[in-house]
Amino acid sequence: MKYFLTHVIEPDGSWPEDTEQRLDDWVAEMDHRGVLLAGAPLRSDVAPTAVRRTDTTVSVSDGPFAETKEQVAGFDLIEAADLDEAIAVAGAHPTLGNGAIEIRPVIPGMPTPVPREPRADRERYLMLVCWDQTGDAEITEQGRPGDEPRPMDDWIAYAGERRLHGWQLQPPAFATTVRRVDGAVAITDGPFAETKEQIGGYDLLEVTDLDEAVAIATAHGSDLIDLRRCAAEVPSQVGDGAATA
Amino acid sequence: MSRPDDLVAPVFAEEWGRLVAGLIGWCGDWELAEEAAQEAFARAVEVWPRNGVPTTPAAWLTTVARNAVRDRLRRRGTEAAKLALIAATSDDEPAPPSGFPDERLRLIFTCAHPALPMPGRVALTLRTLCGLSVVEIARAFLVTESTMDKRLVRARAKIRAAAIPYRVPPAELLPERIDGVLAVLYLLFNEGYSASSGDELLRVDLSTEAIRLARLLHRMMPEPEVTGLLALLLLTDARRSARTEHGEIVPLAEQDRSRWDRAAVDEGRGLLADLSGPPGAYEVQARIALEHDRARAAAQTDWAAIARLYELLPATPVVELNRAVAIAEAYDVQLALGMVDQLEPELAGYHLFHATRADLAARTGDLTGAIAALDEAIRLAPTGPERRLLARRRAALTAE
Repeated sequence: MKYFLTHVIEPDGSWPEDTEQRLDDWVAEMDHRGVLLAGAPLRSDVAPTAVRRTDTTVSVSDGPFAETKEQVAGFDLIEAADLDEAIAVAGAHPTLGNGAIEIRPVIPGMPTPVPREPRADRERYLMLVCWDQTGDAEITEQGRPGDEPRPMDDWIAYAGERRLHGWQLQPPAFATTVRRVDGAVAITDGPFAETKEQIGGYDLLEVTDLDEAVAIATAHGSDLIDLRRCAAEVPSQVGDGAATA
Repeated sequence: MSRPDDLVAPVFAEEWGRLVAGLIGWCGDWELAEEAAQEAFARAVEVWPRNGVPTTPAAWLTTVARNAVRDRLRRRGTEAAKLALIAATSDDEPAPPSGFPDERLRLIFTCAHPALPMPGRVALTLRTLCGLSVVEIARAFLVTESTMDKRLVRARAKIRAAAIPYRVPPAELLPERIDGVLAVLYLLFNEGYSASSGDELLRVDLSTEAIRLARLLHRMMPEPEVTGLLALLLLTDARRSARTEHGEIVPLAEQDRSRWDRAAVDEGRGLLADLSGPPGAYEVQARIALEHDRARAAAQTDWAAIARLYELLPATPVVELNRAVAIAEAYDVQLALGMVDQLEPELAGYHLFHATRADLAARTGDLTGAIAALDEAIRLAPTGPERRLLARRRAALTAE
């Protein structure tokens, strides 16, 4: 089972000296165990870009999709046997003392390009597809969104090789957020912040510049897309098949 | 011929949770398991009065319920259902005999998983383990049936969508997960215990369900904290019938102690006697309850022992408030009043803070202060019976 982890941190948190080292250790450990399929920290020095669409207009603006106290700082895509394993993986992450990790199950069935090495001459952007998910309309006993055909084929063809991978996520009602409180991992139901718009899916783009990312986001057709520049190389083993270490 | 209910009800109470737990383990679908269990009992109500109760009711119910699962999967007919059907038909071993290993343990832990919202955990526990209907649970929590149904649907859907494992947690997770289970049972008990008495007839007895589940857990997993919680519930519940009179709350000191349930007290005492080692929070609270229960009259309460027990609990404001009450009784009212005053910033919105302060102030002779505190307590009291109890105290003070 795949889970999408959203890392959020306190913007003015103080970090122990060895955080960087412990981050590297966590990545190495999870990669070795075959848990980590993809992931990257996001550039904190580059503001996110929001692409909003109404019936008639598309507007591009500076700023995150939602004003929250904690800021989205990175993501990971992991493969875990069940939620308890996902919680253990998130619980071991070194940034947890200064923020939270939201764990969201991925809806299977999204077509994924053949994994390939990242291109050195391109930038990677994390594209968060957001919408208002306040209604619980999607949660029914029989509702298994993964069983339904997806109308995104045209967009996926348009994005082509520039889309490294991406998944639709189970609704925020199925999110679990992990924090560290007094040295122990605290588990709560729900997303990291109760905002009106919530992340509903993501795609990782490899493009020349922000304009190209905005063009792909605009073509997506969603009401609200949040683009964030990634800071580092990412492993990429994200197909529907088993992860290979 | 016996009435169907007389034949089936005792088996329902004993077997529902076990049946559902086994079915979930077998087919992996919570809703389907519940529906099939329901259908099996409906068949029992039809068939047993005619043919008699089968020699092994559990096996009979399991067979009928598994067939119901297969029927439903066949009718659904989607790819996913077909796969599940293959899995379900390849495993045709006879139903497991009653007793260990008890599948209900897996069910208890999964219902109380920390990734589920607390109201969902409680509702799921009552539905799947106790077999209460959605209507009964909705009434118990004073919400509409559709609200409660949504809560259950959502909890079950999250278990499936987020792949919450159906299992007893491994050793390294067990201590914290047991705490989570106990928190659900404790909440359930308190919800039942503090329920206002007005609509009692309509509400299922949540305290009794909580004790039943705590007993079950204790039988399967006699960890010290489980023992402590069961003792706490029994020792508190022992006073229940003396706790209200015509819908009015009777304070501990004024209760008719002959109405306390001595068997429950003895059972709780026996459980505590088996415990050694550093006491957990539930055990300490149970020992405090026992100090009250064993006093033949309010005046014989060993308040010094109670004050010492409160020192063993984490010093939260509410624990400190209770410790102050014990200190006032055992040692010194002025000292206690000083302790209580220091808690004001944290407890200013808590009616029992003001009620306690009123009581202590009155005993030092400060009637004006006592009446002002009682007024504040009355303003903040959450239920009618509590407000009326405080109003009676106020009336008694002004009459002096």
